[in-house]
Amino acid sequence: MDFKPTYQPPGLPRKILGLVCKPDLLEEIEGDLWEHYQILCEERPQWKAKLGYWFHTFHFLRPFAIKGIGQHSNSIIMYKSYFKFAMRHMWRQKMHTGFNLIGLILAFVVCTFIFLHLRSELSYDNFHDHSEDIYRVAWMNENPQTRTPHPMAQAMATDFPEVQAAVSLSPIYGPGLTRQTIQITNEENNIALEEPDGFFADSTFFDVFSFEFLEGNAKTALKEPNGIVMAKSMANRYFPDESPIGKRLSFGPNTNMLEVVGVVEDVPENAHFHFNFIISYVTLKSFNFNDPWMSWADFGHFNYIKVQHGSDVAALDNKIPEWILTYLDWTGGSRESLLDRSIGFELQPIESIHLHSNIRWELESNSSFTYLLIYGISGLFILLISIINFVNLTTARSAERLKEVGVKKTLGAYKSQLLGQFVFESLLSAYLALAISFGLVYLLELPFNELVTGRVHAQDLWQAKTLLFLISVATVTGLLAAIYPALYLNALNPGQILKGMNPKKLGGSFIRNGLLGIQFIAAIIMISGSLIIKNQITFLKNKDLGFRQDNLVIVDLEDFENKSELVKAAFSQFSGVSDVAAVSNVPGGQFNQHKIYLESDQTNQVDASEMFIDDDAARVLGLELASGRFLNQEFAQDSSGLSFLINEEAAQAFGVEDPIGAVMFWVDNENLVKGTIVGVVKNFHFKSLHVPIQPLIMMISPRNFNYIITNVNAQNLTATIPQMQASFTEIYPEDQFDYRFLDTEISELYHEESRTLKLTSVLTAISIFLSIAGLIGIVSIAIKQRVKEIGIRKILGASIRQILWLVNLRYLIVSGIAMLVAIPVSYIFMNQWLENFTYQQGINPMLFVISALLLAALILATISLISIKAVKSSPADALRHE
Amino acid sequence: MKGTQLGEFEELVLLIIGVLYPNAYGLKIRIEIMEQTGRKVAIGAVHSALSRLQDKGFVKSQLAEATHERGGRRKRLFQITATGKQAIEKNHELRNSLWNKIPDMALKGLNYGGSF
Repeated sequence: MDFKPTYQPPGLPRKILGLVCKPDLLEEIEGDLWEHYQILCEERPQWKAKLGYWFHTFHFLRPFAIKGIGQHSNSIIMYKSYFKFAMRHMWRQKMHTGFNLIGLILAFVVCTFIFLHLRSELSYDNFHDHSEDIYRVAWMNENPQTRTPHPMAQAMATDFPEVQAAVSLSPIYGPGLTRQTIQITNEENNIALEEPDGFFADSTFFDVFSFEFLEGNAKTALKEPNGIVMAKSMANRYFPDESPIGKRLSFGPNTNMLEVVGVVEDVPENAHFHFNFIISYVTLKSFNFNDPWMSWADFGHFNYIKVQHGSDVAALDNKIPEWILTYLDWTGGSRESLLDRSIGFELQPIESIHLHSNIRWELESNSSFTYLLIYGISGLFILLISIINFVNLTTARSAERLKEVGVKKTLGAYKSQLLGQFVFESLLSAYLALAISFGLVYLLELPFNELVTGRVHAQDLWQAKTLLFLISVATVTGLLAAIYPALYLNALNPGQILKGMNPKKLGGSFIRNGLLGIQFIAAIIMISGSLIIKNQITFLKNKDLGFRQDNLVIVDLEDFENKSELVKAAFSQFSGVSDVAAVSNVPGGQFNQHKIYLESDQTNQVDASEMFIDDDAARVLGLELASGRFLNQEFAQDSSGLSFLINEEAAQAFGVEDPIGAVMFWVDNENLVKGTIVGVVKNFHFKSLHVPIQPLIMMISPRNFNYIITNVNAQNLTATIPQMQASFTEIYPEDQFDYRFLDTEISELYHEESRTLKLTSVLTAISIFLSIAGLIGIVSIAIKQRVKEIGIRKILGASIRQILWLVNLRYLIVSGIAMLVAIPVSYIFMNQWLENFTYQQGINPMLFVISALLLAALILATISLISIKAVKSSPADALRHE
Repeated sequence: MKGTQLGEFEELVLLIIGVLYPNAYGLKIRIEIMEQTGRKVAIGAVHSALSRLQDKGFVKSQLAEATHERGGRRKRLFQITATGKQAIEKNHELRNSLWNKIPDMALKGLNYGGSF
């Protein structure tokens, strides 16, 4: 007999089988399955074999093989009959079933999407080994930023024993500190592409971050100069069918400068930064690169550290100020503030960057925890509303099954069996809804992602955690809906039931109305909340930013040769162009900042953002002057960059009544520029409205111009843009013509808000729909129970109006109470949300009135519509049958 | 009387047990069914039929010794009993006699999809 090793079948199905299978059959069954698995493994890939094993194991979950039941045992027959009852019952009440299912399906779909979205947002950067020990060093002063000095990372690794590894990195920045695309060329295959997302990094990059190496060695990859590590997708672009290791690539104009030393798996979606390629700082330094950028003085790099597991990070953070002063030669105010901890370095856990960090120079735009909270709460509300619908409708309906319960009880059904039947039925509905909603999630994946620009993948449904979550939600829903009717009906005496019991006495309407009230509360919070969000966003969009945004086209200059004058001259000839200016930064973008101070008060140093402009820029952007004059190229002092324009905020920070003519210093890294303030411009929002206006200084400096701003005529854009492109290419034959519109650029700043608005609008609509559907269900049952009452009232002379009022009153009272609860809750919560904005619209009380009126009107209309038939019908019909 | 009828699939299994004598056990029977008839059958279905046959007294079984490729588990070998033999014989005779009673006219002109 040959004893070659056998394939081990998956353990879980075997365990399940072992638990439920009759012991005397277990051995032969397991044996057969084992043998079959060996055959499968020989013939098919392992996953198919495993699937086959699962399939056949489940085929044994039949009555003959399962413990405790025989082929024709009572319990099998009983469950069959439960099933039959459930199906008949559902089929008989098509509308009721439809309401129930639609409500549940909607809620499950919404929950699934929100759950998947939250999971993907919460999973950022958790793929690194020991990601909980990785921190980014951020600089927290009045205007916090992500970037810190380059030598800091390695110095921390050397000086602090608890820092196990550290890396400094930086995206490859172009002019104006925009992220630059680099032309990378494979000369051999003649493939030249513009590659974005290039990074410089220390050779320790892979000690801190875990990216899987497909080729090359993580330990040595970035040690030598001129090495490049690429992401898989980029490697495939340049070396479609060969191993890239050891091959050479050109970096911009530097032919064959780079050698490919590693290929790593593409950065997962849930990372707070994504790189295409990494080049070591060693390469940069090998050029004898003595840029101040690499010094301690320049806060211009991203530094990450990985600490020993279990280190006291707060203590480490606290040691930084004293330690860093041994490297930084700071004196005076900054030194004091650093030592008294009013400014300092913060260690940001890498996993929290995506949701909690939103400071200057984020590598990619991050999300915000508040929005996740809003999504999560909305999802919970919808689930709540739909569970309540399900419970309410099932409970109300149970009155119609009194006879069934009575008969079953007299025939000797145990209480537990009746309970089982109710639970079985409602679980069946819940699981059916869940199954259908799975299908819908697949169908709606694309529209959902488009609507909220999300990255939800429907196949993530099958992850164990997601499945577990959804199945438990469905189970809890089913159980909740079954419990009340089961307990209540069970408690009744069968004799009494069969004698004929007035369903009105059944009671439970107090609980039903209470639950209805909770639904209304959720609906009102949703309605008023989304109205407040909408108001705030409209406010942001319409707020006067203090400069012109319409019809401004921005063209990128990759210019080290100062040809901006040529471009301006060329553009201004076109009939569709009314005005042209050159600037270093565009409002809404990122700004560099340095200190400024007056000669008269050198201790008051102010951090000011800076913007280099030509003398046309103020006119093109429509800036307004508070005092003094704008810059003018004609004046020698202006054109040499020694005349400063400051904004009102900067003037206020100086605390000088009339700063015009004052001598001011601008600390441009090592350079100290001494000039004169010639004008003060009115404050304008050169950054997003999330932050207050900060001090700003503007001056002429042609070598720093990065953008041409063109004021175009909206009508003949289609002609103007190609003209601009043609003359641009003439001036810069090498460069690509990139243009965008300032207003679109600015509205992008509020992307997250617009997305929240869209999502909450949809969710609010769904929650209104579900609440109303629930109301319809309950009222239609209530009306049925009150048909006789209405008939008698009519005979006694009640008018239709009086009866409608009678029917409506109860629900209006419920909704009134709901409003009293919902409005303060909504007010408090939304106020907190608004705290995120520097510029708030505030909460208009009218919004609550509108929400309340809207809901009340909907309730009145719904109830009146469905009760009008019963109310109008002849009382003779209602009272005829008894 | 309930329990003495022989279902279509049960008859098939019973016949195969005879064919495989003396080595008929669950998986082997399944493989043989699939080979002979081209039907796809789950192992569970075969076991279910076997347990029904045994309940009805058409087959008897005993455990054989353990083998390596079954992960050290014993297999259950099935054999047709006298009642089982009676049952298939009865079915066989019934079919034969019915077949013989079909008048030639009824089948004339029918062919197997034109292959003759």
